[in-house]
Amino acid sequence: MNPVLTIAWLTVREATRRRLVAAFAMISIVLVSLSGWGFYKLSHSVSITSGESNVAVSQAVILFMFMFSFVVALSASAIASLAISGEIESGVLQSIIARPVRRSDVLLGKWLGMVGLLAVYTAIVCGLLVGIVDWSSGYVPPDPAAASGFVLAEGVVLLTFVLLLSTRLSALAAGVVGVALFGIAWLAGVAGELGTAFGIRGMHTASVISQYVLPTDGLWHGAMFYLEPAGFLSQQLAGPRGEPANPFSAPSAPAWPYLTWVAIWLVLVLALGLISLQRREL
Amino acid sequence: MLPARSAEREAAGRSESPGACAQAPGSPAIHAVALRKRYRDTVALEGLSMTVGRGEVFGFLGPNGSGKTTAVKLLLGLARPTSGEAMVLGAPAGDREARRQIGYLPELFRFQSWLTAREVLALHCNLLRLARPHWPTEVDTALHTVGLADRADAKVGTFSKGMQQRLGLGVALLGGPTLVILDEPTSALDPVGRHDVRQIIRELRDRGATVFLNTHLLGEAEHVCDRVTILSKGRAVATGTLAELKGLRPSVRLRVAGLPANWWQQMAGFGRWVADGDWLLVEDMAAGKVPELVAAIVSRGGQVEAVIPQRQSLEERFLELLEET
Repeated sequence: MNPVLTIAWLTVREATRRRLVAAFAMISIVLVSLSGWGFYKLSHSVSITSGESNVAVSQAVILFMFMFSFVVALSASAIASLAISGEIESGVLQSIIARPVRRSDVLLGKWLGMVGLLAVYTAIVCGLLVGIVDWSSGYVPPDPAAASGFVLAEGVVLLTFVLLLSTRLSALAAGVVGVALFGIAWLAGVAGELGTAFGIRGMHTASVISQYVLPTDGLWHGAMFYLEPAGFLSQQLAGPRGEPANPFSAPSAPAWPYLTWVAIWLVLVLALGLISLQRREL
Repeated sequence: MLPARSAEREAAGRSESPGACAQAPGSPAIHAVALRKRYRDTVALEGLSMTVGRGEVFGFLGPNGSGKTTAVKLLLGLARPTSGEAMVLGAPAGDREARRQIGYLPELFRFQSWLTAREVLALHCNLLRLARPHWPTEVDTALHTVGLADRADAKVGTFSKGMQQRLGLGVALLGGPTLVILDEPTSALDPVGRHDVRQIIRELRDRGATVFLNTHLLGEAEHVCDRVTILSKGRAVATGTLAELKGLRPSVRLRVAGLPANWWQQMAGFGRWVADGDWLLVEDMAAGKVPELVAAIVSRGGQVEAVIPQRQSLEERFLELLEET
């Protein structure tokens, strides 16, 4: 088997054997069950109209996805932080790299395995969520597949970034820095919304820069856009300032040039990770 | 018992053609020239030059912190030298193709605790690109050789340190390597395990493999090594066969009667005299001087009751060399 696929498969096996997959499954069941109960209650409340109920459910779906995107980001950060530095510290990586494999094979294999795990996890949870929301309330977001794709992309961006950090920092430091920067990027996005709403150019600019430096928040806006019902969106856009100052609403999908930048960003950060591991003394 | 290594086995077992190492079969197994490694303010290795011939069991001795593991990491390409160069199996140190022919037991032997011993070995067969049909034989042979056949399907996480070290040795033996680098291979083993390792090293030598044994256990080196290098503070302070190292400064113990007290003080030219009760020790003698010494004593009227040639133990020589540096 190709060394990259060997390492990718090893990464997936490790997640399974170490019961990471089982933990993900349990968390997902709890998450989706509780959400299903909440969505059922919300959509069957006698005190609100069906129109209000639809808006409430659509907003709750966005909130759920926001929380889930945070779980994906935390999970990505946790597994990526251990991937390189954890194995260097334990000595496991040295015995692999002494074999006739390239260091790039090891890094790409781990990246591929972790992205695969994240993709399956995201697809299952988002699929269950959409299914349970549809069953309990009859509401289906405009494009749940695209929204799930953006949530996954957010996780992949953070995973790739933390993997780069993991080639130099300790597992703990890489994980903490990754999660902290993810949080800062989200806050920068909220600040950008406020800057746009109140005409504060500096805040808007800072937000845009942040979305290019660590594109997690930019991708989250894509997820939100595809979860928003058209009626709710037009209502928001018809507001006094034309754009909503709402951190849980996106007026438009990320443009193709931005998505192209995200792809380039991923390649650049992965390449930096490869160079960093190549130069790392073991 | 290790399986015989042959060109046929190699050709059948590897799914890709061997690389540069096979193209330079006449080259030494290891050739290092002025290898130096500096970590910020610490010089871990200072100008190491050595040549290890093919088929040799070469001991790399030194106290803790002398630079032994650093040297191994440089030879494997796990770290880069600050200056100097090294060739391993005819290719630059760290060459990926050459690593196909190298088995390595790290000092810090850690394997995936969530895999079984059999799975760890299969993983390394895969990384070595051995043809899949050969994996079961390779894995079973390795398990049998290191005495883990009965724990083949147990998780590595349940192994004692000694068993993990045995597994590491098994991993190093996969694919019939041309060069086996063992970094402190018995550090976690009991006396039986140490005996087994010595036996494995002898079997590797018998089938023509080169063994680079990195150790601070001198007894281990005395049992199996053809030649050794003694390393101290990052420098090679002596290299040679064990006999050469031990015999560099021969000495002799004497018991002599019939001469006045301190008679030996007039015979300083033979070496350094040390009185030890009824015995006298003459150290640092020039080679072949013992008959002349005995004749000189007899000519002075002395009765030579005993002459016992002394050879330093490796440990004595080792400590002496370390004191000198």
